[in-house]
Formats: sequence, C-alpha cells, structure tokens
Amino acid sequence: MTPADLTVGRAATTSSSADTACAAVPASSVALECSNLVKTFGVGAIRALDGVSLVVRSNEFFTLLGPSGCGKTTLLRLIAGFENQDSGTILLDGNPLDGLPPYRRPVNTVFQSYAVFPHLTVAENVAFGLEMQRRPRVEIAERVDEILTLVKLEGLDERKPSQLSGGQQQRVALARALANKPRLLLLDEPLSALDLKLRKEMQLELKRLQSEVGITFVFVTHDQQEALTMSDRIAVMRGGRILQIGTPEEIYEHPTARFVADFIGEANLLDATRVGSRQFRLDSGTVLEAEETGPATDLVTLVVRPERAFLAPLGGGGPAACIEQVVYTGSDTIYLVIFDGGLRFRVRAQNSDALGSRARAGDRVGIFIPASAIRVLAR
Amino acid sequence: MMAVLRRVGLLAPSMVTIGVLLIVPLGLMAVVSTLERGSTGGVVWGRHTADAYVQFLFERDLLGRLVVNTDYLHIFGRSFALAAITTVVTLIVGYPMALWIAFQPPRRRMLLIFIVTVPFWTNILVRNYAWILLLRNDGVIDWMLIKLGLTSHPIDVLYTPFATGIGLTYSFLPYMVLPIYVSLEKLDRRLIEAAFDLGADHWRAFRRVILPLSLPGVIGGAILVFIPGLGAFISPELLGGGKSMMIGSLIQQQFGQSRNWPFGAALAFVLLVLVLLALSAHTARYRGHGVRR
Repeated sequence: MTPADLTVGRAATTSSSADTACAAVPASSVALECSNLVKTFGVGAIRALDGVSLVVRSNEFFTLLGPSGCGKTTLLRLIAGFENQDSGTILLDGNPLDGLPPYRRPVNTVFQSYAVFPHLTVAENVAFGLEMQRRPRVEIAERVDEILTLVKLEGLDERKPSQLSGGQQQRVALARALANKPRLLLLDEPLSALDLKLRKEMQLELKRLQSEVGITFVFVTHDQQEALTMSDRIAVMRGGRILQIGTPEEIYEHPTARFVADFIGEANLLDATRVGSRQFRLDSGTVLEAEETGPATDLVTLVVRPERAFLAPLGGGGPAACIEQVVYTGSDTIYLVIFDGGLRFRVRAQNSDALGSRARAGDRVGIFIPASAIRVLAR
Repeated sequence: MMAVLRRVGLLAPSMVTIGVLLIVPLGLMAVVSTLERGSTGGVVWGRHTADAYVQFLFERDLLGRLVVNTDYLHIFGRSFALAAITTVVTLIVGYPMALWIAFQPPRRRMLLIFIVTVPFWTNILVRNYAWILLLRNDGVIDWMLIKLGLTSHPIDVLYTPFATGIGLTYSFLPYMVLPIYVSLEKLDRRLIEAAFDLGADHWRAFRRVILPLSLPGVIGGAILVFIPGLGAFISPELLGGGKSMMIGSLIQQQFGQSRNWPFGAALAFVLLVLVLLALSAHTARYRGHGVRR
C-alpha cells in the first residue's frame, strides 16, 4: 500500500461513523468478509464467537484487539480452517472458504509460539510451503533467497531453529508464511514472546514488510499500544462480539462503547446525568459542557482522555479538585486528583518545560476540561 | 572432602550393581569362551584354546582337517531375519496404534496405554502357552475358521516359524508402542497445524513432520524389539517347536545337553559383538540424519 492509498483510506473512514466502516466498501477492494460467525465449544457451553461480522479490505493491516478469551484467536482459527464455525460464512475474495481444510486455503499463519519445524533448517522451513505446492526446485531456491533477504535472515539458511534467537525464529515463521504469497496473512500474537525493545523493532518491521509485499494482514493482539501503532483498522472484541471497528484514531478519539474507551489507552470514565442538550451533571455535582450531544439517553458516561484535561488555577472555570498523588513518568507527569464531591480523575501533562512548575500533592487546583475533549456514551 | 565422599557414597550402589551383575559375569564368560571344555560339562581351568571360536565357522572332517561349516551361520542368519521381521511387523502394527492413542483425549490416552501394558502382568510362559491353545489344530482359531467355513482342513500353524513370528510380535509389541507413543505425545500439535497451514495434506504432514519428529521413538522401539528378539528363547521353543534352531536355543543347548560351555560362551560373545556393531552403525546413520535432511 502506498502512502497515498493510506491517506485516502483514512479520510474515507474518518468521515463515516465507526459502525458503518465495514459496510459500503466496493466489492473489488474486499479481501475477507465474515458474516454472522458463531462458534461454541463444548456442548453449547461457551460461545467463543457470538455473531461476528467484519470486512477486511485488500492490502489492509487489520487488527483484532481484545482481552484474552474475547474470541479473537478463535476467529483467526476459523479463517485459517483449524476450526469450523457453527454458522455464518467466510468469504475470501468473494469465494466461500466454508468446509475447506486449511491446506486448501490461500491463507497462511504466523503462530504465537512460531511453530518453526525443529528438524528442518531455516531454508527448508521457508521452502516447505513451496514444496507442498510442487513448485520447480529452481523457483523454490530463488524464492527462499528472496524471502530470507526480505526478513533479513541472509546467510542463516543452513541453521537449525535451535541455533536461532527468539527474534530470528520469529522471522523464520514470518518468512515461511510469506513464501507462499498468501492472499491473507494471519498473525496470532506473533510478538508477545519478544522482549519490549525487540517487540518495538518488529512492530515497525512488520509494518514495512506489509507495505513491501502488499499482502492483507489480519493481526491478533491484546496489546492496545501495538494495535494503535501498526493497524490501518482495528476491531475491538469482547465476549465473542465485535464492539467497534475503525481506524486507530477513531477507536481512540471516538470510542462507541465504555469498554472500548477503557481498554484502549487511559480514560476517565465519569457517570453523569443530562441536564441540558450538551450539559451533563457529574455525580459529584459539577456540571460539564460537551461539544457533542451524544446518545438520546439521560444517563450517560463521559469519557475524557487524561492528556486532554489540564490543571488550571482555582476558580478558572473548571471544577475544583485536590491533588492526591503526582506520578512522574519521564516525558509526562500524571496527576491523580479528587473533585470536590469525591470523584477521582486523572490528568496527564507533558513535561515540556525542564524546570517545571509542577503542582504538588495536597495542592488545590481547578481542572479545565475543554468541551471538545468530552465523549458522551450511553451508560 | 565431604563432597567427594558423598559422591562416592551415592554412586556406590549403582557401581556395585553394574560391577557384580554385569562386568564380572561378562568377564567370566569371556574367560570361559577361551578355555577347553570339560569332558562332563564345565571347563578345564588354565587350559586356553580358541577352539570355541573356530567351531563357530569350521568343523573337523573324518580326516581331522578343518572344513567350513555354515550351520551356525545359518542359525544366526535365521535369528537375525526373524528379529528383523518381528521389528518390522511390530513397527507396522505399533506405529498406527501409538499414533491413534497419542491423538485421543488425554484421559482416554492413559487408559489405552494401560491396556497396552496389561500383557506384561502375565508371565511370558503363560502367554506363550495361551498362544499354543489359540494356534494349534483344533485350537480356537482353527475351530473358528472351520465353523465360519473359511477352511476345511487344519491350519497347521503351530510349530512353524510363522507361529514363532506371531508369538514374538505379540510379546514385543508394547516395547515398540510405548517409545513411539512417548515421542508422538510430546510432539507440538501446532507443528502439525503449521504443516496443514502451509498446504500439506494429511499424508504429507505425516511424512514431512510427524514421522521425522517421532523417529527417535521409532529407533528406540526398534532397538528394544530387535535385540531381545535376537536372543528370544521361549517363543521359538514353544511356538516354533524348537524345530528350526535359533540363537537363544542354540546357546541354551550348549550349556545344557551339549555340555560345551566354552562354545556357548563364544556364541554369546559373537552375538554381543554383532549387536554392538549393528547399533553403532545405526547411531552413526542417525547422527548423519540429524545434520542433513
């Protein structure tokens, strides 16, 4: 995907609301379409997937994000063909995959534990899929070289997986899955076993690879930061359902559900009652004014990102509060404050001036919350 | 000082066991095989001769000249062939069994493995006698086949090499199933999924991933079946009727009726050397397998 495509895609989705982001996509650009997928395990006991529908566009980096047990891995296994859904359909490029065994699907997987074949060398691992397709030897050798260069494993082709580091094994798994030029690459928390620094590196690397090979990626993770960094679009899942689909920006700035707001990044969730079309009274008594009217209910939850609120002098318009704790995190300082009336709130301020005129615990301050920073959700 | 004492103390039981039960008897056998046979059994101490080893390949004709005698080589060959066939048959029967058990739900696996080991609980003689009842003419199998109209005449299986093969296969099957099961059970299921994912159908996933990764179990099982199979004594005697001589029976005979202890000891040693050679050839090949594909 070129940068131009990316911006066009972004612009198109930000203008529409998150709920319709998966509808009204031109058929030619649809890679994967899942509709009403249901999957239960055991005798009707656990609904791992409870009516999941989504559309993944061609060449998109699409992320399934959610806490463990939300059904994201089950969804991936349905697409790969390791499990069969109870009902619903999966279309890949318009063709149904239902009932096809995994080896008949033009889909490859990068497994969480890598699952690199321990008895084969790096080159043999990468060649495995091509050999299964009975490609000519010369072509296989060329393709293996090409892919190993792409994932920066040149010169390691004769090594056994046991002689490689975790990060290198990860690259072998990636190379092996890409070698077949799948229509769709599924990645099941591929970075979760790497240490933080390597993980950050691989995040950028994966992003680079995806734009270089031009393959649609469906990426599963429980790490919201990872999802925000890498994805073109994110589907947030919980309890076998999709709560919201949208670009990282939409998901972060305009969450449509309390869970999404809470799960992605930090959020102040304030229960409030509507007292005007845009005015809401917090349980502590303070009335806040929002820019948006929100859903047509009187009981609402206000979402305020900590970095969108500011400390202000007392009496500066915002509600008065007392600073309970100050947490210095290097680039930022986090102030945990208590509104008069007992509500806890969190403000994140950038430490942009080196000397710092930072407030201290015990200080009384005002909290300025711009109307544009407030999201109104149904409670 | 304490550490040294403790190490010696902890190792002593196993060293004594190995020394008294393995090295000393082996040494005695080695010495016996080089002694002159006593006229009423036993050996004549102090009179060394290579007669026992010469006897393995040669015999004296009427004129007292040494001529090649291949009888004993034939017995060795027959025993090796029988052990090899037993190994192959237990592998063919045992591998699918182990594979099937390894892919059952965990609780059923334990039960099935338990069932596989049940025959161990009965004395090997009793088990072989049971096969006599099954295989003999008018026996259970014969009777059933005639009742079913599949044959009209006696099956004549008992006291043939075929019966020996059945007995050996039956006796050694668990030794093949268990090591293969262990290597299959610990095989990472995601590797099989990865093979499917990359386009391998069931057969090729088996051929390229499952089989190579369970090879250590196969080799372990083959060794556990082949070596005891070589020296098997009870099945060839009871089910084969002792008609076609096997190494086990031959060696037993030298210490029994033939009263030729040096020759018996020499036979045992030749067998030992052949087995060691076969084993080291196998491990050498297997190491090569580990490096290349």
